[in-house]
Amino acid sequence: MLLLSAPFDAARRGHGAPIAAPCALAAGAALLGAAAGLWIELQGGGPPGLGRSAAAAILHAGFFAVGWILATDGRPGWPRPALSMAAAFLAASVGNRLSSWGVAAFLLVPLVLVGVSRGHAELRRIGLAWPKGLLPLTAGLGVGIFLGAHLLVTSSLTFGYGVRVANAGAYLSAVGYDVGISALTAEWLFRGALFSRWWRRWRFWPAAALATAVGVARYLLDPALASAVEVRAGAVFYMALLGVGCCALRAWSGSLLPGYSATVVFFAAYRLLAP
Amino acid sequence: MIAVQLLLLALITAAMAADGAGPPSAVRHLYLVPTLWAALGAGAAGGGLIGLLAGLLQAPLVLPAIERMGLGSRTLDGLVSLVTPVSVGWLVGLLVDASRGRAARLRAVLEIQRSLGREVPLEERLESVAEGVRAALGAQRVGLVVTAEDESRAPVAVPSGPGFDERSAAGLAQRTGRPVWVEDLRSDPRLGAPAEGGPTPIRGLVLPLDAGRGAVGALAIEREGDLTPAVRVAAEEMAMHLALAIENARLTLRQRRFAEELERKVEAATARLRELDQAKSEFLSVVSHELRTPLTALQGFSELLLTRAVPPERARRFLGHLHGEAQRLGRIVAELLDLSRIQAGRPLELRREAVDLNEVIERNVELFAAEHRGHQFGWAGCPRGLTLEADQDAVDRMLKNLLSNAVKYSPAGGRVAVAAGPAPDQPGMVELSVEDDGVGIATEDLPRIFDRYMRIANPETAAARGLGLGLSLVKALAEAHGGRVEVDSLPGKGSRFRVLLPG
Repeated sequence: MLLLSAPFDAARRGHGAPIAAPCALAAGAALLGAAAGLWIELQGGGPPGLGRSAAAAILHAGFFAVGWILATDGRPGWPRPALSMAAAFLAASVGNRLSSWGVAAFLLVPLVLVGVSRGHAELRRIGLAWPKGLLPLTAGLGVGIFLGAHLLVTSSLTFGYGVRVANAGAYLSAVGYDVGISALTAEWLFRGALFSRWWRRWRFWPAAALATAVGVARYLLDPALASAVEVRAGAVFYMALLGVGCCALRAWSGSLLPGYSATVVFFAAYRLLAP
Repeated sequence: MIAVQLLLLALITAAMAADGAGPPSAVRHLYLVPTLWAALGAGAAGGGLIGLLAGLLQAPLVLPAIERMGLGSRTLDGLVSLVTPVSVGWLVGLLVDASRGRAARLRAVLEIQRSLGREVPLEERLESVAEGVRAALGAQRVGLVVTAEDESRAPVAVPSGPGFDERSAAGLAQRTGRPVWVEDLRSDPRLGAPAEGGPTPIRGLVLPLDAGRGAVGALAIEREGDLTPAVRVAAEEMAMHLALAIENARLTLRQRRFAEELERKVEAATARLRELDQAKSEFLSVVSHELRTPLTALQGFSELLLTRAVPPERARRFLGHLHGEAQRLGRIVAELLDLSRIQAGRPLELRREAVDLNEVIERNVELFAAEHRGHQFGWAGCPRGLTLEADQDAVDRMLKNLLSNAVKYSPAGGRVAVAAGPAPDQPGMVELSVEDDGVGIATEDLPRIFDRYMRIANPETAAARGLGLGLSLVKALAEAHGGRVEVDSLPGKGSRFRVLLPG
C-alpha cells in the first residue's frame, strides 16, 4: 500500500512541463489554418465547401492537439501526433467533399487515432482504453438513443420540426463527420483531456460541470448552429445532458468509448431533424 | 434492479400516452413509484437517475402544452411534475445514503471495539479492524499503523507487504499529527509515482489516530473515484474511535498486567507470611525447649544439693553447672528481650566506649576453642593502633553469635578464622570477619538469613540448636552502630560474615 510503504516528499510539486505555451501554439496554428481554409473558400479556390470543410478539420485538429498536450502534461513530442491527426481530418474532409464515397474516409479516422496513440500508455488515464465488457458500451448507446429519441419527439411535438432524411448522401456525410471528427474530438478534449484532468484534482461533479460547460460553449460558438432561440436553448439542454452523461460514462467505465457511442448516436438522431 | 424500474417508467409513459389527457394526467404521479423504489434501493444515484428519466419522459407531453397554451396554471402543474421525480428521487436517495452510511459507520465502530478487545496478536486484530473500516467506507484498501507502547519496538502495520516506511505519508501524519491528502496516488509527484496513472483517480487520505494525547498511529485510506466529504467525515470519526479504542485496549492491557503482577506479589507475600508463621511456631517450640533444658538442669542440680549430702568437690562441680546453665538462661532471656525491643521498633540501647577489639576476640576465640575441640580456630591479632568506639557488650554478642553459627554449621569440624582490621574497601570502617569452611548457604537463601526466626533447613545441620535470632540480632546491633553485615557464601565451601562498624 503506497501510503504506508512509499516515501512521501511533502515539499515536492508537479513535474509536468508547462502546458500554456504549447496549448497556445496549437490553438494559434489551428486558428490560422482555419482562417486559411475560410479564405480559400471565400476566394473560390477549389470546389464549393472545400475550404470550409478544411477549416473545420483544422480547427478540430487544434482541439485534438490541445487535448493531447493536456493529456500528456505538455511532454515534448506532441506535434507529431497532432499533425498526423490533422492530416487524417483534412484527408477525410476533403475526400468526403470530392467524392460521394469519400464519407468512408471518416470511418478510418478513429483507426488513425488508435495507431497514433499506440505506445503512449499515459493516454490510458484520459480513458483511451477499451471498456471492460459490453455493458458500458450498451449503456453509452442507450444514453445516445434515449437523448436522441427524446430530442426528436420533443422537437417535433413542441416546435413542429420534421423527422426525415431529405438527402441520404448529405445525411451520411454529416453522420460521417460526427463519427470521424466532431464526436471524436469532443470526447477526446472535453471528456478525455479536460474532465479527466479536473477529476484528478477535484471531485466528479465540479469536474463534470466545468468540462460540460466548456463543451456546451464550444457548440454555442459553432457558426453552423442555427441562431433560433429554441435551437440554442435545446442545444444547451441536450448538450448539457449529453456532456454530463458522457462524463458519468467515462468515470464509470474508465473508457471514452461509451461516451463516444452516445455522442455519435445522439448526433445521428439530431441530423434527422428538419425545420 | 434498475432494469425493472426502467421498464416501469416505460409502462407508465405508455399509459400516459394512451390516456391522452396530456400533462394533467393522473398517471404521471405513478412516476414516483419507480423513482422512490430506485432511491430506496440504490440511493441518490439511482433515485436521481430514475427521477431524471421520469422527468425527461414527461417532457414531450408537457413542453408542447406550454408551447400551445403558454405558462398557465395547468401547464405550470405539468412543469412541476417534470422536476418532482428527480428532486424527490435525489433527496430520498440522499437520506437513504446518509442513513446507510451511519449504520455502516456504527457497525464498523462496534467491530473496531470488538476486534481490538480480542485476545489475539495485535497484527491480527488490526487486519480485522482495517477490513471493517474498508467495508464501511467503500474503500479499495485501508491500512493501519500503530506505534508500539515501547518506543524501542517497531510500529505494527497492516496490510503486511512491502512494509511500513517511516518516510511514507502514514509516517508523516503520525509524526505531525496532521492529515495527508493525495488527489491521485498514481500520478502524485510527492509519492514519486509515474505520471501515467490510470483512467480513474485513486484518492489517498491518511488520518492520524489521535485521542488527544498525541498520535498513536495512522489510518490510511485508498479509494477509487471520489472521496466525498461524507466519506471523509466518516473516516475522521472512525480514526477518532480507533484512537480511543487503541488507548482503551492499551489501558486494559496495562491493567491486566498490573493485576497479574499484583497477584504474583500477593502470592509471594502470602507465602512469606506462611513461612514466617511457620518459623514463629518453630521458634516457640525451640524457645520452650531452650528454656526447659537449663531449667531442668537448674532444678535437678539444686534438688540434689538440697536433698542429698554431696561431697564438697562434687557440690562445687554441681554449682559450676548451675552457674553455666544460669548464664545460658540469661543469654536466652537477653536475646528474647532484644528481639522484643526490635519487634517493638525501639532502638537498642548502646553504651559506646573505646573497645579493645583484640581482647574481645582473643577471649571469645579461646572460649570457643576450649568448648569445641573438633574445630581449628585461627586468629592473627589486630593491627596496631586499631580503635573502635562501640558498645563492648554488643560487639561481644555479635562475635559470639557469629562464632556460634560458624561452629554450628561446620558439623564435621573444620577451620574457623577470625579477622579484624580497617575495611579495605570501606574507608573509615572497621571490619570484623568470621569465616568457616562449613556447609555454606544457597544463593536463594541468602536474602532471608538475617530475618527473624529464620533457620535454613539443611540435613547436615538439622541437629543444631538455636532460636533463629542470632543473625538478625547481629544485623540489628551492627545497624544500631551505623554499620552493617555482609555475607559471602558458597554451598559446600563455607561462609564468610563481615561486620562493618564505624571506626
